[in-house]
Order: sequence, then structure tokens, then C-alpha cells
Amino acid sequence: MEYALFLGCTVPARARNYELSTRRVAEALGIRLVDLDGSVCCGFPIKSVHYESFLLTAARNLILAEEKGLDICALCSACTSVLTEVNKELGENEELRKKVLRKLGIRKKFRFSNSIRVKHFARILYEDVGIDKIKSKIQKDLEPLKISAHYGCHYLKPSDIYDNFDNAEHPKSLDELIETTGAVPVDYENKNLCCGAGTLAMDENISFSMANKKLRSIKDAGADAISLICPFCSVMYDNNQPTIESKFSEEYNLPVLYYPQLLGLALGMNKKELGFNMNRVKVAPLLEKLKQ
Amino acid sequence: MASILIVDDESVVCKSCEKILKPKGHEVDSALSGQEALGEIEKKRYDVVITDLKMPGIDGMKLLNIVKEKYEEVDVIMITGYASIDTAVEAMKLGAFDYIPKPFTPEELRSVTVRALERRRLLKEEREKASRTYVRFEYTMPDNLYYLPEHAWVKLEEDGNVTAGVDDVFQKSVGEIINVKLPDVGNEVEQGNLCVEIEDSSRRIHKLWSPISGEVIEINHKLTENPSIVNNDPYEAGWIMRVAPSQLESELKNLIYGEALIKWWLKREVIEKRDDKYLQVSALDPKFKHEIAKQPGGENIKVCFGCGICTASCPVREIDETYNPRKIIRMALLGMRDAVLKSDFIWLCSTCYTCTERCPQGVRFTDVINAIKNIAAEEGYIHPALRMQAELLEKEGRLYEIGDFDNKKREKLGLPRVHSEKNVISEIFKVSGFKEIMEKKA
Repeated sequence: MEYALFLGCTVPARARNYELSTRRVAEALGIRLVDLDGSVCCGFPIKSVHYESFLLTAARNLILAEEKGLDICALCSACTSVLTEVNKELGENEELRKKVLRKLGIRKKFRFSNSIRVKHFARILYEDVGIDKIKSKIQKDLEPLKISAHYGCHYLKPSDIYDNFDNAEHPKSLDELIETTGAVPVDYENKNLCCGAGTLAMDENISFSMANKKLRSIKDAGADAISLICPFCSVMYDNNQPTIESKFSEEYNLPVLYYPQLLGLALGMNKKELGFNMNRVKVAPLLEKLKQ
Repeated sequence: MASILIVDDESVVCKSCEKILKPKGHEVDSALSGQEALGEIEKKRYDVVITDLKMPGIDGMKLLNIVKEKYEEVDVIMITGYASIDTAVEAMKLGAFDYIPKPFTPEELRSVTVRALERRRLLKEEREKASRTYVRFEYTMPDNLYYLPEHAWVKLEEDGNVTAGVDDVFQKSVGEIINVKLPDVGNEVEQGNLCVEIEDSSRRIHKLWSPISGEVIEINHKLTENPSIVNNDPYEAGWIMRVAPSQLESELKNLIYGEALIKWWLKREVIEKRDDKYLQVSALDPKFKHEIAKQPGGENIKVCFGCGICTASCPVREIDETYNPRKIIRMALLGMRDAVLKSDFIWLCSTCYTCTERCPQGVRFTDVINAIKNIAAEEGYIHPALRMQAELLEKEGRLYEIGDFDNKKREKLGLPRVHSEKNVISEIFKVSGFKEIMEKKA
């Protein structure tokens, strides 16, 4: 099982705990991740201001993977969404494909969606590795932990680009992955609510209010921690949790774990291997609970 | 209570109208000719003028024209004989609120007056709401229907038949609907004549004039069980009847097409000197929607029928009322190009795609708003935060620069070094033309 690893912008700079735990977990499960050298931003930030630049940027990244003949594994949900979308669009629209290649000055033929696929790491775990195989590798049952899944938006939406993977309105794949570790998935109100990161640069107040609403719901549901799969969402819930707490006079102390960090624990990895020291909200109480 | 002027050359009609309306607390005056009525209107501010259509000298139509020209805010109700229904329909097109065929019962006069006054109250309430700077409720009418204004709508179906229903103004001025008396299938209805009786929660009966003539081929049975559908969804689920039209072409001329109707409303705002608070018709750009539809993702904007599910599902809207997807689409469809492109709110989408997932018409609002932002950018309006991000990408190829310091940190963790591809995106910006756009100032 081999994939081209697309890191994007946020993961290598601000979510090294995510990257680290992903690489360790992948190794343990026999997934080979080949770094996609030469890649740039996925194109997401420019989609709203210049569609053609967005298209060219995303296409440029897809071409690198196609040259290697490898499917892409992305860690960020926004990267997954735009690369999937452009891969599909260029695969279906020959006219557009020709235009993009011409503009990029590329003479070689590229087939896009017909030859490679783009997948999020969590989807690879769920679909390609599979729950059974993951279960067979579990060394430590995380049963005492109650974990709420945050799917984020771009992991499943827009649903028409994801070929019916999971259900955008009633998702279950991440809950099942959590359950595989032995931990108990905890449902909560506002489960599909966006983290708010998309408006952070335009209006902090909107973003923090959205994130606060979800943190409150998860706390009320009695979860010990959140598990998520997107660095943007983590910036909102983990990095900004103290700011949100003081802004709304709340006290959450809700650890935020990337799913590979949670799975890593169940696979018997230690906290250093999983980069827990880089989580903003302390994970120690969670690890204490596991020891008891 | 309201001030009402009755105009009829038969004093017995004036007297009986006074007798019907005065006990309701209204101040009622009479005039026996159009000429006399104009004199009264000069002297006193009336809310409603109820006038006979056929009078010697200045007749009802002339009076309507003069009143609407000079005192747009006065509502005019026509009294008409059966033979003059065509003229009455025409009067509605020219701005009459409604008409009432002779002979009428006291209840019929009271019902139409109540509706006119309720509509006035609603409009006043709308205007006084400080937050409603742009869109009044009438503007949420679908623009692809034909209207008997403030009354009923007709939709042309592909099979040559038509669907008809009540419009938003009629529905709102009636209030809660508790019963709808539908025509029978096989009945003939005639344009301008009674087709449906609607009962409100005070048990008052309101008459709906058919917007079109022909044979009724289907009726909406659901309304019998649940008449409130008309209140909740007057243009879709609340349809009234399907008709095989008998004189479609000539009768459509008596109705106003949606797009034109919206302009008609706007013109009234201008006449009423409220255009400063609302908008200038001349400032509308009808091509704006086509411009959006040409952008990738904007293709479906024109099929929006304004159900508002986008707004109801929007997590940003829940926190900040200035971001309202349905309103943005309506503004775009109306052609409020400048107001949309220069606004701050178009930049507030969190791209959660909930609206796109739930839209029953397949309008991808997340992409529509991106299409709008693309057009804004081309005009030089780019949100400063996005401009900054684009500049970073141009320089570094990434949103965060990864220098030596970061790479050392990565190495310590056993992570591979990350190399910046500094020229890739700046080259892309050049060939795509975005470089030029970024240099543009609004």
C-alpha cells in the first residue's frame, strides 16, 4: 500500500504532531508514504479570488503524483477536497484539461482522475486498510476514554465529489475508527457544525463563536476529548481553546487529538512518538485516565 | 383606524359603504364624482380610496391614474360591474390594490378593506425595521412567474397548461389561512372572476380572482387538509390549481411578468421618495446574474426559488445576520451588482458546504459566493486577509514559510526537511492573469 503524501501548508508548519503520528501509524499498518517533493499549496486559499489560478495550482500538484503513478494521501481536509474536486473536473472535462496543461507549459499527456485518486488519510484507514486489520494490530484497549468525533466540513463535502463515501449529514466512519481503538464514541449536539476556521482571517468573532458552540456541546455530552482529522479544525479547537475560554468565560480543558494520535496510543506507541507535547491543551489527564 | 374615501356617482352606494365601514372605527367620507374626489384628496390624507369604475367625467380609471401619480401611498380599490372585469384587471396592473364586483355584500367590502389595511401595516413595519436596508418582502417573489399584482400568480408549464396560486402579498395580508375553498376539476374559471375563497382565522372570507381563463384540470387537494401550506410556501407546495388555458396569449398581456414586477415595485419606491433608503432602479444591472452564471460554480444561480434553506442551515448566519445566503442570491438576481461586490459580507462564508448539500434546486451556494468573490476581485475588491495570503503564496508557494529554524525542528522529530518551491505559484499568477488583478485597485 503506497501513497504520495501531500502535506499542504498548515501540517508541516503548525501541525507537526499530526504529521508525526500519521507517519508512525502508517508505518505500523504497512502504509508506505512517499513525500511529494516539489508540491506547493493545494490552491484552496485562492479559489475564492481567482478560480483559474486555483485550478492551475491544484493541477500542478496532481501532476506530481501522476508522474509517480501514486494515489495522493492528504492530511488536511481542505487539501483533500480541492485536489479531489480538480482531479475529477479535469478528468471529465477534456477542453479544460488541455487549457490547464497549455497554461502550465506541459506537453506530456496527463489523465488526472482516470489514473490517480486523492484520499484523506482517515479514509485510507477506513477503506483501504479496513477496520478489521486495524483491530488486529491493537495492543492497548482505550476503553476508559470517551471521545467525540469532529468530522469537519471538507472531509465529506461537497458530497458529490466523494462518490458516496460516508454520509455527509449522518457520518459514521470516524466514529467507527474511534470505536476500533476501544474508546467509546460520544455523540453530541451540533455534530456537523463547521469549526469556523474559514472565516478566522475575516472575522474572528464569527469563528470563535462557532468553535465555542461546538466545544460547549462536546463538554456537555461528557466526552474526555475531541478527535479530528484536519489541521484547520485543530487550530480552532486546540490552539485557540484558551482564547475562546477567556472570551466566553468558559472552562473546557478539552484535549484535542488528531485521530492518528489516538490510534497510535492504541497501537502501543508512546507520547513522544505521537507528539503529544505539541498539543496545546494538555493531554496528560487523558493519559492518566488510561493508566487507572 | 384608517381614513377612507368612497367615490360613486350613486349616493346610495356611498351611504351604504359608509354604513358598513364606519362601525369598524374608520373615518369615512364620500364624493359623488371623480372631480369632487380629487378635491377631497387634496385636502386630506386618505389611506384608502374605494371608487366606482364607471362615472361621468373623471371615471375610476382616470382617478386611479391621477391618484397613483400624485399620491402613490394611497391604496385604491375599484368597484366594478360584471361587464367591466377586464378593465378592473387592467386597473390592478396599473396599481389598484383590488376590485370588488357589484353587487357586493357588507362582508365582501369589509374583507377587501381589511386586506388593504393589513398590507399597509406590514409595509410600514417592514420600512421601520432598521436592519432591512435592501430587500422588502415583495422582492422575494420568484421572477419567472406572471402576476396579477398583489394577488395571484401563474406559472407556464412545459405541457402547455398553467399552475396558479396566491402571491406573497395576498397571503400575508390575509394572515393565517384556515380554509381554502377550491374550484371543482372540470369547472371553467375566467380571468378576473372568482376562483377560490380563502378563509382567515377571524372567519373572514377573501376572494381570489383567477389570473387566467380555462378549464380546471387539477386542484391541490393537500390544501383542504392543511391550508397553512399557502402561508408557508405560496409559490411551490401551496399552488392552488392547474388550468388548461383557453386564451393564454391575450390574457398574459394583462399580467405582469416577475422580473418586470420587481422593477414595478422598485419604481414605486422611487415615486414614494424612499429610494434613498432602498435602491435606485437605474443602479440595477440585470446582466449581473448572467455574469455570475458564467463563472465556474455560478451556473445554477438562476434556478433559485428563494426557499431559504441555505440561510436556515448557515452557521455563519446564526452568529452574524449580515451574512444571509438567500438575501445575497436575491440581491444578485435583482442586479444589485455594486452593493454585492463592494459589500463586506460576501467574504464571510466559512465554506462549510451545508447550503450546497441541502439546496433542493442544486444551487451550489458555496461556489456561487466564490464566483461572486472572483468577480469582486477582478474589480479590485479583494479582502485584505486574502490578498495577504495570495502574496504569501506568490512568494513562498505556501501559506507558512518553512525556513532553516523550522526544518531543524522537523529534523529533531525525525521528519524530513521541507523545501519551498518559491517560483511555482508566482509563475502561475502570471500566466493566469491574477498577478495583474492583484495590482488593480478598486
